[in-house]
Amino acid sequence: MSFKARNCQLLPTRAEIVVVGAGVIGCAIARELTRYTPDVLVLDKENDVACGASKANNAEIHSGIGEDPGTLKQKLNVRGNRMYDEFVRGLGVEFKRQGLLIVITPRSAPPELLERMNEEDRRRFFTEVIPRGIVNFGKKAGITGLRILSREEVFEREPNVTREALAGVFDPNYGMVCPYKLTIALVEHAVLNGAKVFLNTEVNGFRVEGGRVRAVITNRGEVETSLVINAAGVFADEVADMAGAGGFRIHPRKGATLLFDRDVTSEYVRSSVAEFRLPGMKKTKSKGGGAMPTVEGNLQLGPTAVEVEDKYDTSISAEEIEEIFERFHYLLPDFPRDAVISAFSGIRAPTYEEDFVIEASDKVFGFVNVAGIQSPGLASAPAIVEMVMGIIKDLGWELEERKDFIPERPAPIKFSELSNEERHRLIMEDPRWGHVVCRCETVTEMEVVNAIHSIIPATDMDGVKRRTRTGMGRCQGSFCGHRVAAILARELGIPVTEVTKSGEGSPIYVGRTKDLLLQNDLRGERLVDEG
Amino acid sequence: MTKILRPDAVVIGAGPAGLGAALAAREAGLEEIFLLERDFELGGILPQCIHDGFGSIVFDQVLTGPEYAQRFIDKVERSGIEVFLDTMVLELRSDRSLVAVNSRDGVLRMEPGAVVLAMGCRERTRHQVLIPGYRPAGVICAGAAQRYINIEGLMPGRRVVILGSGDIGLIMARRFTLEGAEVEGVYEIMDHPGGLTRNLVQCLHDFDIPLHLSHTVTFIHGRKRVEAVTVAKVNENRKPIPGTERLVECDTLVLSVGLIPENELSKKAGVVLHPATGGPVVDELMETSVEGIFACGNVVCVFDLVDYVTFTAEVAGRGAAEFVQGRRRWRGEVPVRPGRNVRFVVPQRLRCLDREVELYFRVQRPERSVRVRVLVDGRVVHSRKARMVRPPEMVRASIPAGALNEGVREVVVEVTPDEKEA
Ligand SMILES: Cc1cc2nc3c(=O)[nH]c(=O)nc-3n(C[C@H](O)[C@H](O)[C@H](O)COP(=O)(O)OP(=O)(O)OC[C@H]3O[C@@H](n4cnc5c(N)ncnc54)[C@H](O)[C@@H]3O)c2cc1C
Ligand SMILES: Cc1cc2nc3c(=O)[nH]c(=O)nc-3n(C[C@H](O)[C@H](O)[C@H](O)COP(=O)(O)OP(=O)(O)OC[C@H]3O[C@@H](n4cnc5c(N)ncnc54)[C@H](O)[C@@H]3O)c2cc1C
Repeated sequence: MSFKARNCQLLPTRAEIVVVGAGVIGCAIARELTRYTPDVLVLDKENDVACGASKANNAEIHSGIGEDPGTLKQKLNVRGNRMYDEFVRGLGVEFKRQGLLIVITPRSAPPELLERMNEEDRRRFFTEVIPRGIVNFGKKAGITGLRILSREEVFEREPNVTREALAGVFDPNYGMVCPYKLTIALVEHAVLNGAKVFLNTEVNGFRVEGGRVRAVITNRGEVETSLVINAAGVFADEVADMAGAGGFRIHPRKGATLLFDRDVTSEYVRSSVAEFRLPGMKKTKSKGGGAMPTVEGNLQLGPTAVEVEDKYDTSISAEEIEEIFERFHYLLPDFPRDAVISAFSGIRAPTYEEDFVIEASDKVFGFVNVAGIQSPGLASAPAIVEMVMGIIKDLGWELEERKDFIPERPAPIKFSELSNEERHRLIMEDPRWGHVVCRCETVTEMEVVNAIHSIIPATDMDGVKRRTRTGMGRCQGSFCGHRVAAILARELGIPVTEVTKSGEGSPIYVGRTKDLLLQNDLRGERLVDEG
Repeated sequence: MTKILRPDAVVIGAGPAGLGAALAAREAGLEEIFLLERDFELGGILPQCIHDGFGSIVFDQVLTGPEYAQRFIDKVERSGIEVFLDTMVLELRSDRSLVAVNSRDGVLRMEPGAVVLAMGCRERTRHQVLIPGYRPAGVICAGAAQRYINIEGLMPGRRVVILGSGDIGLIMARRFTLEGAEVEGVYEIMDHPGGLTRNLVQCLHDFDIPLHLSHTVTFIHGRKRVEAVTVAKVNENRKPIPGTERLVECDTLVLSVGLIPENELSKKAGVVLHPATGGPVVDELMETSVEGIFACGNVVCVFDLVDYVTFTAEVAGRGAAEFVQGRRRWRGEVPVRPGRNVRFVVPQRLRCLDREVELYFRVQRPERSVRVRVLVDGRVVHSRKARMVRPPEMVRASIPAGALNEGVREVVVEVTPDEKEA
């Protein structure tokens, strides 16, 4: 099917279940639903899945150690973490339990508190009281396996952390996943099992009759349904309001992260590293963050936490950049600052209660809110899904497992991860495997082509990038940009001047050379005087 | 997989450095030389440099980039050097074995007698200089813009702001203008221009393009495509001065903020890099810290003139031949140290000590009326006047043949005020 034809496909008139929002939460729920019914429709206003918070976060699968007791966040995070291996099974995405080292430093407690202690008390406080406190806190939350480390053991694990470190706690449950690849994999798995995904499809209302949801109204028409899952991320409050099923408010909170060159940082820290602060000391509402190597080995530093007005404000400010460097300069004193290759911001979706809102609306039957999914939403995803399935059952949906559910989603082949024998064999089968398009990440033409023709096709540069890593390396696409654009144009059957970075309004080129000159000529603005 | 190939030498990269090195190795008597290039054509960065200004030293002529490259390409084609295009070297080990890949042969394994690194450099991106703001389409590096326009025939923008006044930025200011785009201005964070005076005149002045010194871009606006940038004046610490911000509407931000030698392969092979150059530490044969692996051109350090690239290539090519032929002999180990107002010197060490050595260096700060001196254990062996030295320009000096021997402890290169000697 051509690019244009695909874009003009008609929205189905009916679907048993409609999921609004193709972030990690919506896609995970959709995938789970297809275990029972293929009649699931996922809608997203953007031109690709994972264009919201699910593409711009820190990818951490926390154990739950950072959450407050008694919150839904803590409960679902702890459970979600345990479910993760099962959650990603068969999806072909990497999940690495690399562990988190919580470092205790003299800054871990407020000076007021320390003033009252003598030196011996202080030593004990940092090396015994705090670490034991963390372990006990974990135990109460159901987090097991936390290990107390002496100062020496901290350096043994992570030789580059500050010499001021006094002790540590190692959390082996903590892991990392690639959040957008996970989202793509989940939704592709759902599609393999019958779900339909409509992108560029904005939900702007609902038909509610007799207290029941009857239809979803979009920019591309109406879809009748009796069950709606609202997983619209930072817009979930507005979407709920459209149905009269709201009551919570989301205030966007931006988080910026710096990303570093893998070659420079992969040896720098082995696990993720975070500095401990006693509760109540945190200046911001951020989860503290840390130095976190991604599954690909690029170190991330961040995130910041800044309340913003605009739910689309994914900018990064000079102050945020400074703040990140300042914060981590202490923890990792000789960190190679100049190895930064990228910086990005994402928007968290907290409610004023600062907890997840996962419930069937008591105002509109058949409308389920999965909202306020700020961090640790990614880590909690499996447990959120489980909870949503429980809610759906309680609403009276009969969920019978399908016999024909396909348990696996074939992962795209990554050339860079193959042995030389496998590489050779593939190139002999199709020469496009032998043409390296992205030099930094060693991505071949065939991988780009595959991404463009995948189940949820990449239709722009960023879509290809998220699927294949083109342009994600140290040169940030300077080398491969025009190559990828040319392949996109060829495969989509469009002129290269119509290729975009991230959908409408983001063209890579403004035209062919001489076009501008001709236009100027027509306007009588001859630049070079030929007379 | 294909069988292991064992040529005398493999040259990685076919820009002026790789072309020159392959030819020199050939002239020095090596039989089988492979020249591996990941692009579809020879010449490296030169085919896109359609402006003139190449070859004034080597050919005593002012050529365009493609013309300069063609002189070497013609020779290579007649020389029997085996050229592999569209061939990317993926791995290099310290025993010189390497893996390359292309769509015709598949995975190629080679165990050459010697390796010459000639991978050139890449451009620094917006994130490496950490420009705050959004991440829209329309933020591109100058070299990439040059490629789009000159090779692909595509226009990256209509209304352009250029950050950085290095030569590539200046040349692109003119190029955009000639293509009918509007260049609002060139902004330079330093208080002096980065490029050659010739380019300031011919690329900016002649086209009435303003150059704003001590200015930088502090924010990129636009979620989808660049809509504007905020520019601001900077203080002497290069920090933006509050209150001097100005919003400039544009659809493109072109960056000319520096080049970085491309040494990912070198690192994998265990080649020691120099912190100031970003390239391999080399000796007077351009041999790196790994035996039998040589390096030349921009992979060693960023040269401003292609002529110097060619000179280092000839040295490296001959060095590789000496090595393969078993003629290369080390007689000692003499460090070459940067002295007063010198940031780095290439080569950084001397081991053969039996020949005249050409030294290339950059200064730390601009200075007028100076003397460039080379001292061997405190004895001046080279001294010449220079009217002006500037950090963006590579300076040359030399150690005459016979000035070195096993007993020498160090060589120092320095720039001193001229009065002293006068
Ligand atoms: C900086 C940062 C760091 C984070 N780090 C972590 C971490 O390390 N670990 C962790 O567990 N969590 C982390 N989080 C949180 C995590 O990213 C989120 O919890 C998770 O991605 C939420 O997924 P989602 O599907 O609910 O939302 P989103 O991914 O935002 O998806 C919502 C989707 O709904 C669509 N949509 C909205 N309105 C409409 C409409 N009207 N019609 C159609 N579609 C609509 C949007 O286009 C979007 O695609 C972080 C978040 C941020 C911002
Ligand atoms: C925009 C611009 C304008 C310039 N203007 C002038 C001027 O006016 N006058 C002047 O004298 N000089 C000028 N220069 C400088 C001069 O062109 C460069 O110094 C010179 O081209 C560097 O040569 P090189 O061979 O080291 O690198 P390059 O020309 O960059 O060649 C390196 C080659 O290596 C290949 N390669 C890299 N990695 C691999 C791998 N793993 N496998 C296979 N192949 C690989 C690359 O594809 C490339 O072809 C300019 C440079 C630029 C970028």
